[in-house]
Amino acid sequence: MGIIEKLDAIKNTVPHYWPIGSFIHHNPLKGFEDMKFKDALAKAKKIYGGRVYMEPSYYLKFYKEGKISHSILEENLKEILEVDGLAEYYDLAMRCLLEVNPEWNRYRSAASSQEHPIDEELLSYLDDEFSYHNKKKWLTKLTKHMTLYEINDILFNRDDKEVIEKSIIEYISRFLDEEQTTVSMENRELGMFETFKLYEDFDYPYDAEAFVEEALEKLQVKNKERYLLTHVLKLHGWAGFIKYRSEDPDYYSQQQYPSSLIDYIAIRLYYEVAYLKHRKINNFKLLDEYIENNGAYTILKLVKSKNNLPGKFIDAMEESNDYDSILESYTQYELQLDAKQVHLSKDQLNNINIPLVELAKIMEVLREEEGYIWMKSLEDTYIHQFVDEIDISQKNNTQRPVASAAFCLDVRSEVMRRSVERSGPYQTFGIGGFLGFPIAFVEFDKAHELFLCPAVVKPGNIVFELPIESDKQYNAKKGMTKTTQKVLKDLKNNPYTPYIMVEAIGWIFGINLFGKTFAPEKTNKLFKSFKAEKPKTAYTLDKLSDEEIELYVNKLHIHIISVILINNTSRKYSAQEIQAIRDHLVLGNELALKIESKLLQKLKNEYKVSFEDYEYQKKKLAQVGFTLEEKVTYLHNLLTMIGQVDNFAEFVIMSGHASVSDNNPFESALDCGACGGSSSLPNNRAICMIANSKDVREAIAKKGIVIPDDVKFIPALHITSTDEMKFYDTDILNEEEMKRFFKVMIDFNQASRMSRRERADALPYTNSSKDIFVKSMDWSEPRPEWGLAGNMGVFAGPRDSIKHMKFNNRLFMHSYDASLDNGEADILTRIFDGPLVVGEWINLEHYFSTVDNAIYGAGSKVYHNIVSKIGVFNGNYSDLKIGLPTQSVLSEGKAYHEPVRLLTYMEASLEKVGKAVERSVAKEFILNEWIRPIIIDKEAKKVYSYESGDFKVIKELE
Amino acid sequence: MIANILFLLLVSGVPYFIFLEKSKIFNSKAIFLLSAFMLLGAIGLSFFMKNDHSEPFVIISFLSAVYSIYRATKTTNFYKLGYYFIFINAPFFLLFEEQGAFYSLSLLVSLLGIYAIASFYEKHYGSANYLYVRGITLATPLVGISITVYLITLGLYPPLPNSLFFLTYIFNAETNALWYLVVITLYFGNFLISMKVLEKSIFGKTNPDIHYVDLDYKDKVTHVTIMAMLVILSFFGIEEILLWVL
Repeated sequence: MGIIEKLDAIKNTVPHYWPIGSFIHHNPLKGFEDMKFKDALAKAKKIYGGRVYMEPSYYLKFYKEGKISHSILEENLKEILEVDGLAEYYDLAMRCLLEVNPEWNRYRSAASSQEHPIDEELLSYLDDEFSYHNKKKWLTKLTKHMTLYEINDILFNRDDKEVIEKSIIEYISRFLDEEQTTVSMENRELGMFETFKLYEDFDYPYDAEAFVEEALEKLQVKNKERYLLTHVLKLHGWAGFIKYRSEDPDYYSQQQYPSSLIDYIAIRLYYEVAYLKHRKINNFKLLDEYIENNGAYTILKLVKSKNNLPGKFIDAMEESNDYDSILESYTQYELQLDAKQVHLSKDQLNNINIPLVELAKIMEVLREEEGYIWMKSLEDTYIHQFVDEIDISQKNNTQRPVASAAFCLDVRSEVMRRSVERSGPYQTFGIGGFLGFPIAFVEFDKAHELFLCPAVVKPGNIVFELPIESDKQYNAKKGMTKTTQKVLKDLKNNPYTPYIMVEAIGWIFGINLFGKTFAPEKTNKLFKSFKAEKPKTAYTLDKLSDEEIELYVNKLHIHIISVILINNTSRKYSAQEIQAIRDHLVLGNELALKIESKLLQKLKNEYKVSFEDYEYQKKKLAQVGFTLEEKVTYLHNLLTMIGQVDNFAEFVIMSGHASVSDNNPFESALDCGACGGSSSLPNNRAICMIANSKDVREAIAKKGIVIPDDVKFIPALHITSTDEMKFYDTDILNEEEMKRFFKVMIDFNQASRMSRRERADALPYTNSSKDIFVKSMDWSEPRPEWGLAGNMGVFAGPRDSIKHMKFNNRLFMHSYDASLDNGEADILTRIFDGPLVVGEWINLEHYFSTVDNAIYGAGSKVYHNIVSKIGVFNGNYSDLKIGLPTQSVLSEGKAYHEPVRLLTYMEASLEKVGKAVERSVAKEFILNEWIRPIIIDKEAKKVYSYESGDFKVIKELE
Repeated sequence: MIANILFLLLVSGVPYFIFLEKSKIFNSKAIFLLSAFMLLGAIGLSFFMKNDHSEPFVIISFLSAVYSIYRATKTTNFYKLGYYFIFINAPFFLLFEEQGAFYSLSLLVSLLGIYAIASFYEKHYGSANYLYVRGITLATPLVGISITVYLITLGLYPPLPNSLFFLTYIFNAETNALWYLVVITLYFGNFLISMKVLEKSIFGKTNPDIHYVDLDYKDKVTHVTIMAMLVILSFFGIEEILLWVL
């Protein structure tokens, strides 16, 4: 197997990391989804260390509060014990789970200060079990996922790791920079490793793969695949980002400055080889020899480096060189502690008659399994509560609502939807924020396209936002702001100017600083008045004709040529001449006029005025807008997906959502996850424009959905940090309609107030609606809203079934009417393919960021600095921080988010769900239990739960 | 001359490195107590005997101090750290002459704090080694605060007394090449070692295998008393500086 194949085999251990500007929630263990959830977590724990479930004391608290049902815990424990062949010890195991295991760590610390007679048999069992006397095994365990330079540092008290990691981060952050700095690295277009060779003045004729092969040989690495994994894991955030870039052909920076994991590994190994060159031990063969002669010392040093060597043994190492006897004393000390822990546990369980060795074995199994038992019991308790409360009785809602509002299925819509429903004769629906309508959106005054759809979908249609009224005022204001910002940015980021800048204009920033600190509302208002306001806009929703496409591509090329000619020559060229140059470059026509061939080459190569670009532009422009058929299909899919096919309200509000906060690099994590971490307003505006057009209504009527003429689709935006509702394009309403809609707006405002009041209870240091608004503009606020924290499940079914239930923004809610779905479960499959995938990513990102934030999360926001405009790291240099910051999932050091798998309730027949699972891209993670599917089958009058590869009936419906 | 030899033997690490280090009779705690007692004796004697500094003796004690800095970087035991600090500061005692006694007195009080912490660690964690018991700021904030106060005093942070006496001496001293060498080296020696220990002892993640214990009433009284002594010395130090300024 070649190096690339070896790298391919291990690269999925690290997850993709998307740039923070369009934060995509993801499962940090995505690469493990081909395994069962429980097994995958056990494997991840071995690789990454840390925790994969919460501590037992966390669940015990829930158990005592009644949040975990005793009977369910009992059932789950029995199941596990049966699998492990320990069913006969059920009573003992239950006591261990409730009384002993939560105290296990405390017993160890107590054991160090308590005398206790020790059972010899137990001691010898523990010795065998933990292989304290098998130095080789012990060393393998201790050096797992350690590089040679790390081991060297520990053995010889060096600091190479610090220097090596710093050098690597310095280089890759500069190479991957996306215009954070004004002084960019040169020659990046050569690729990551080739540029590195210039950067380090490293004269090496071959590519990264050859270098990696050579370096591994030099280091005499025995298991190359494992060593590559070791290196990938060292800075797995950076590795994840490089992996993401290299696997996304559409990523602009990757196209310009290519990088790959093999380049990254080559750079890491370059530094390792370079720094170890002059060290006593510079390959694994020498290390093995050293260990052979200094086994005890090596173990002691490694244990000490992991902070596991008690003080008295560290003292002993300082005072004596007899490491064998120190290691033996340490081994005995550890064995005694292990044994005392078991003894103390038995004392706690007084009056049990079981040999200590047996007890130790049971407790070991339980410690392995308890996290899963507790978590599943918590999930099962929630599931039972839900299925007991759900109301699936048939409802007859024939009365026409005044307005209906479709919100994103996002958990943050739950309180808002309940509030809207309570405010008047309104109906609400839930759907993935992109509305099953993926678009590449080019915002007004922006040059790049945003993919407004889940990260797994690639949109086939481009939508441009164009002004429909004069944009002169906007341009004037924007031009001024842009120039000021550019000057300030250049002054700030240039290495030579900050000192002068601080002296001269530093005080200006004081206004912002003091204003935002002491009067955030007023300051926000002041700065808003400087901001250019976007003119009224519309979207390009119709397809361009071939002639139009031809015309636009020609115009683009002519424009580029004109600018270049003006800047590079003194001669004036006529329009015909410019056209002739263009035709020569693009179509290969003969060029009669004389022009420098160097200039022509520049136009062709640098500015891409070429046949290839002509074809590319034509292809891109052909993607602009939608055919009538596409429009009708998307609208039809949307309406059937949410079950809105008749009894339309007069006003059909389609609400996207976005979040507003200040000084928050993670802001896009609070925007719409189904729109790739952006606002979902454009999708909603576009679909409303489509739904309001006459030809679409006529065509969709032929497909069976008749939308009356008086129905108006109105786009809206739900600001999740403040629960405000903003309405757009209301100018399509006539005076009479506007009067009626005004009443709707007042009711929605009332709903916003109710929603804010409810949310203020959950947000720390928030007593009123005003506090909520201040949080959205306070630059020192690390938690402007709770975002998606607390999410625990998703419901796909009619709103009426759960309308009476309160979920406190913890449930994703997708409207779905199984009776509208066909035999192949097309609608449900679409729900699985989009919203469910995004839901699973969001859920597991929160899960892992909560159970071990140091490994899977991003740590505290307080220490974050933005790096290369792609993410954040701690202080001056560190790994790129993946996952969520502590402020998103913890409250005052304790878990706010409850880590459970996504409880996926579906109101549909078992058969339909089966078909959808079979056809969906989500099949793998569904069958491997990364979510908890629960099927409410009204026809069969049964509720099923998918567990251990089977659908179990958990409730019979009456 | 005799006074210089006596002071050298009492305060510098020379006897320790030549004799005590090899001895099995003295453990680190005993050496700490012995060194502190010898320093106390030297301070007492300095009030009766004239402490003229002799360059060769300053050089010897400086070499011993540099070696002590090296040793202090290698240990993670509070007792050892305590007496290494005495040896590191021995050249100051000789060089500072009459002000050396006050500086050393203030040093001794801060080391008394370190000794109290070392005893506390020994009692609760089985050893005065701080490396294993990391993250105490989070687990036992009072112990964390105490260690911080003693170490920043030793690290010559103003306005704590060591720094004030040090400053008074700098203002009054007649300088030469040796003076610069000693003062600069040992200033940074004190500072860097204190900061290194501070970083390794009070910060970091807590160790789940340890049952952390914070100061009880008796301990609190002890530490408050030591800190009160440091405050009194600080006032005295400020007075000295003001006298010089005015």
